[in-house]
Amino acid sequence: MSQEPQRRPPARIRVTAPRTRAAAARSRYSVSRELAEQSELGEMFIRSLMRSQLRLALVVAGGFGLILLGVPVLMLLFPSINGMSVFTVPLPWLLLGAGVYPVILVCAVLYTRAAARNEDRFRRLVDDDRSSRPAWSAEPE
Amino acid sequence: MTPAVLVGLGAVCVATVLISVYGLRISRTTGDFYVASRTVRPWWNASAIGGEYLSAASFLGVAGLILVSGIDALWFPIGYTAGYLMLLLFVAAPLRRSGAYTLPDFAAARLDSRPARRVTSVLVVTIGWLYIVPQLHGAALTVRITTGLPAWVGAAVVVVVVVLTVMAGGMRSITFVQAFQYWLKLTALAVPAVFALLTLGAQGAPITDGGAAFHPDLDVTDAASLYRNVSLIIALLFGTLGLPHVLVRFYTNPDGTAARRTTVIVLGLLALFYLFPTIFGVLGRIYTPDLATGGQADATVLLLPQRVLGSAGGDLLAALVTGGAFAAFLSTTSGLVVSLAGVVSQDLFRGSVKGFRVAAVLSAAVPLVVALATDSRALAGSIGTVFAFTASTICPMLLLGIWWRGLTAAGAIAGMAAGAAVCGSAIVAAAVGGEGLGPFAELLAQPAAWSVPLAFTVMVVVSKLTASHRPATVSRVMARLHAPERAETGWRPAGPPA
Repeated sequence: MSQEPQRRPPARIRVTAPRTRAAAARSRYSVSRELAEQSELGEMFIRSLMRSQLRLALVVAGGFGLILLGVPVLMLLFPSINGMSVFTVPLPWLLLGAGVYPVILVCAVLYTRAAARNEDRFRRLVDDDRSSRPAWSAEPE
Repeated sequence: MTPAVLVGLGAVCVATVLISVYGLRISRTTGDFYVASRTVRPWWNASAIGGEYLSAASFLGVAGLILVSGIDALWFPIGYTAGYLMLLLFVAAPLRRSGAYTLPDFAAARLDSRPARRVTSVLVVTIGWLYIVPQLHGAALTVRITTGLPAWVGAAVVVVVVVLTVMAGGMRSITFVQAFQYWLKLTALAVPAVFALLTLGAQGAPITDGGAAFHPDLDVTDAASLYRNVSLIIALLFGTLGLPHVLVRFYTNPDGTAARRTTVIVLGLLALFYLFPTIFGVLGRIYTPDLATGGQADATVLLLPQRVLGSAGGDLLAALVTGGAFAAFLSTTSGLVVSLAGVVSQDLFRGSVKGFRVAAVLSAAVPLVVALATDSRALAGSIGTVFAFTASTICPMLLLGIWWRGLTAAGAIAGMAAGAAVCGSAIVAAAVGGEGLGPFAELLAQPAAWSVPLAFTVMVVVSKLTASHRPATVSRVMARLHAPERAETGWRPAGPPA
């Protein structure tokens, strides 16, 4: 479970699971992670990555929540909406039964892109830091 | 109708067992067993997640609820889908990167605490059992309505098939089974729905009856209050975050980025699927209104094809729908049994494959006994209750564990215990007291709106009080959860070295 045992190709073993302590899969550590764990600067990078990811998630969740809440609020404020219909399907039914789903998908795609961008930025920061240039000379993207 | 339906039902069960036996050939190691050695690609994995997630509540319950309560019911599929959005935003990638196999593994790694692990295990098993019971109720209902056989046969068949498949192949083969079952479920609803719409259109028969199908007069229940809808949405949004069978699926992604991509695909698959129960529900308001008053609303999906299409074609489509319904019970139940067996076997049997198999039998047998001893309630409603419980217990631990360095083991345990206690007792009180509780009935029946914030608050406050006991490993764990994998050292599927 820990570091790869001296390059020996893993033989096909009888199945067991010594993983109750769950300190799983360290061998997959990337350089950036090792660095991030070991240095104070690395920890700062991680903190700022977490902050930007959390902020992003909260913004997307909040936006979606507002849209979702908007449907019943609109219905309350403008009761005439309840009277509108498309092919006999009333507008509120259409919005809740079908219209919400594309919104969810758009939120998901936008978030995924932005989250990947945050991670790219983090990778570049860490790389810069490793290549002996002072970390703070890196231009903020 | 019985022969065609029986064939459909049998075909789904046999196909499920066959696919899992085929999967056995490539299921070799413990990793295969528990998490398919993390080699599952996003599309497969997304189909599998969709297959696992769309349970009896989605397949039968949503249409039934639309029949009974009209537009208020539309919040259920929205909540089920948007729950995945929350999962994507807050949990998907960090959870994958945590490297843990199960929720208790995550708790142990993050909090560095055995007691926290044990409390999480108990909750996961409880939630899993509570979630399986409605699936078995759905199976019992389906068998009784469509074949006329005694109801217990349905529940028993599901448990036997699930135990066989899980024991045979573990997670790897389950992935294939689940992926197959998503597409089966989609077909089983989409084909009859499209057929019904086309036939009705061709005959000039009413589809929405000039909009009358949407009229609230057809609702059997009173319009839901704002509180109930909000509380329900909170339960569904946050409850999804803590479902054990959903979470274990994220460990089968190769890396955090793939976990996100998978989740986006899942959202698309869910959005597509939920169009059809809604169509069934609306048609049901015209063609099967008697089911609403007879307390059999959950059978709408099963009986509608024959009501609309009559004899021959209706029989075939009814067989298809029944098969799809069984796929729903089987896939959700097997997903839950796999994740429960993973937890139970690690905590009780030290994680051997034999222990996994024993645990699988245990995980399926207990809910079977409960299901046989209790009566079915509205499927969508009882699943909603489980979501409220999950949202008040596992979800705060997971969210705070991922995003807040300050969470301590004591805080997590206290929060989970408080959430379980208040949410559990509210639900029990509502079930026992019923309408006799007056103004409190609604607060107790749908507790998420206050029990979730309460659990969060307890967790934060106790963590602050025990701040000196923060696990020393927290920085390392946080780095592991949030730092992206590097593209060039990206992990490749395990296997014999080249």
